[in-house]
Amino acid sequence: MDLINHKGTATMGVNIDALKCIGCMACEMACGYHRDDGFAFLSACIVLYRGREKKNYFGVILKEEERLVVARPEGVEVKIIGASGDEDTSGEKKDEDASAKPMLLREPCDLCEEMKYGPMCVKVCPVDAITLES
Amino acid sequence: MEYLSSERILIVDLEAGEVSEYDLDEDLVAEKIGGAGITKALYEQYQEDEPIVLGAGLLTGTLYPASSLAVITARSPVTGKVCHAPVTYHAGIELKYAGFDYAVIKGRSDKPVYLWIHDGVADISDASELWGKNLWQTTDALRRTLGDDLIQVLAVGPAGEGGSDIAQVGVNYWSSGDRFGFGKLFGQKNLKGIALRGMGLLEIADPEAFVDAAFEVLSSIKNGASVGKKGVEDICAALGEGDVKDWLAPLVHRYSACYNTPYPSHTFVFLDADPKKRTDPGTDEPGFRVTDVEALLGFKKLGLSAEAACRLMKACAKQGVDAAAVAELSGKAGKTDAAAIEASLSSLTGTVFLPGRGIFSPWSPQQPLFGDFSISGDKGEWWERRMAVAYVFGIHPIFAVMAPELTEENLLEMSRIGTELELDREVLDIVVGDLLS
Ligand code: SF4
Ligand code: SF4
Repeated sequence: MDLINHKGTATMGVNIDALKCIGCMACEMACGYHRDDGFAFLSACIVLYRGREKKNYFGVILKEEERLVVARPEGVEVKIIGASGDEDTSGEKKDEDASAKPMLLREPCDLCEEMKYGPMCVKVCPVDAITLES
Repeated sequence: MEYLSSERILIVDLEAGEVSEYDLDEDLVAEKIGGAGITKALYEQYQEDEPIVLGAGLLTGTLYPASSLAVITARSPVTGKVCHAPVTYHAGIELKYAGFDYAVIKGRSDKPVYLWIHDGVADISDASELWGKNLWQTTDALRRTLGDDLIQVLAVGPAGEGGSDIAQVGVNYWSSGDRFGFGKLFGQKNLKGIALRGMGLLEIADPEAFVDAAFEVLSSIKNGASVGKKGVEDICAALGEGDVKDWLAPLVHRYSACYNTPYPSHTFVFLDADPKKRTDPGTDEPGFRVTDVEALLGFKKLGLSAEAACRLMKACAKQGVDAAAVAELSGKAGKTDAAAIEASLSSLTGTVFLPGRGIFSPWSPQQPLFGDFSISGDKGEWWERRMAVAYVFGIHPIFAVMAPELTEENLLEMSRIGTELELDREVLDIVVGDLLS
């Protein structure tokens, strides 16, 4: 597991600055729309994790082809999907599985290749916390 | 009603312990649009049963900016008027995604119950274990029992159970814009709370045109007057209370927004952890989400420190008491000591100020905040119309007074694109007129 500065270039496509994020979920909805042509969250591959609400601890998780990018306020963590040593033994639910559908069951990011706006999450973020890596 | 909708209305009969449902008729939407337009119509239809009606706006839960609002419509047990309380955060969208656009909760249960509305199903469940718990304990218990940390909870604390006039329906752990004593109404019905969760899908009549138009509005907002501003502090500054920023600054942790709302209207303060810390604070309850500008300013004017004010707001939220009412009533009683105020939460009574007709929540400031709305005429009239429109379409009521970009014409246009219904100004004027009658 690598820990990279929150403004670091951990991702191949989109970069997420979790410190800028205001937790609005617009990216999650925009990604869901890209998948389902309707308004729904179920298929989004970018998700606001918000299971630690009392602590105000939130960030954004992105599922890519072979890895999960977890953008936390303190930095970006990249997990290689399927790598060993990643099992959670604490008994607590992991952020990425706090939603109804585990991240690993979702389609990976395709950078919205068929959308005229390009990456929908980048387009919709009101505070530009998501940017496209050039 | 095929579009932007879950297509269904839920009827909960607490007396009989039964639930039923029926289709949301397109004609009702064509006539009343949605949100408060329809919750009020449903209220009137079932008024003999003193219902609590929960509903989503027509655009709630979409990609339209600030479409985060749901509404609770009921007769205030305090003022006797039919009022509309806002439900925001990430909870406002959850009813629709849980499978219902509207829920009518009628009658009274003879024992404590809660509603669990999820994935198109609604259960009335025993709440004897929850009765007596504060709002934080209730939310934790429901999430644990039902097995999902993202369940959204509308619930009452001991204040609502005990019949306090200033009891509030809280949202998850936080205070809400319920200034109408709906918490007392929940208590009278033996309804501890409503848990919501769903993963539905809303169809759109013309998806591409809807998203094009939504992005166009978002672009204009991103060039608008609210850009770069955040939290309760900048709202206070716009209200002429610029010193709130320095007063609160040492406690500020981070800002957050309601669903798809471009302005982060919540300032999270840390009271029992280092606000500068970016990692998980470790401690379970480090602070409080401050959204209620009226309550914050009220406590500040009593001379409290920022920390004392925030701790009091947290105590109010746990008890399910309207903090703005506490500030106002404490002020009137000459109480300025935080500990004394906290000790009196369960016994405070009295009437509090509600602007205009007293049917919309002063949780939303009664004036434009940053944007120029070019108001001609009475500001109070402007505010009530703006609220009526926001509550019909499902627009965040605080953002509604910040963003002139969200015009009535645009909201109607989006509704037409999204639903294919002929919704025009004439319909809107009738709906607003009815709400303000
Ligand atoms: S680029 Fe597209 S597919 Fe990838 S996360 Fe963003 S919205 Fe989803
Ligand atoms: S759209 Fe931007 S601000 Fe909103 S949750 Fe996603 S990253 Fe955060």
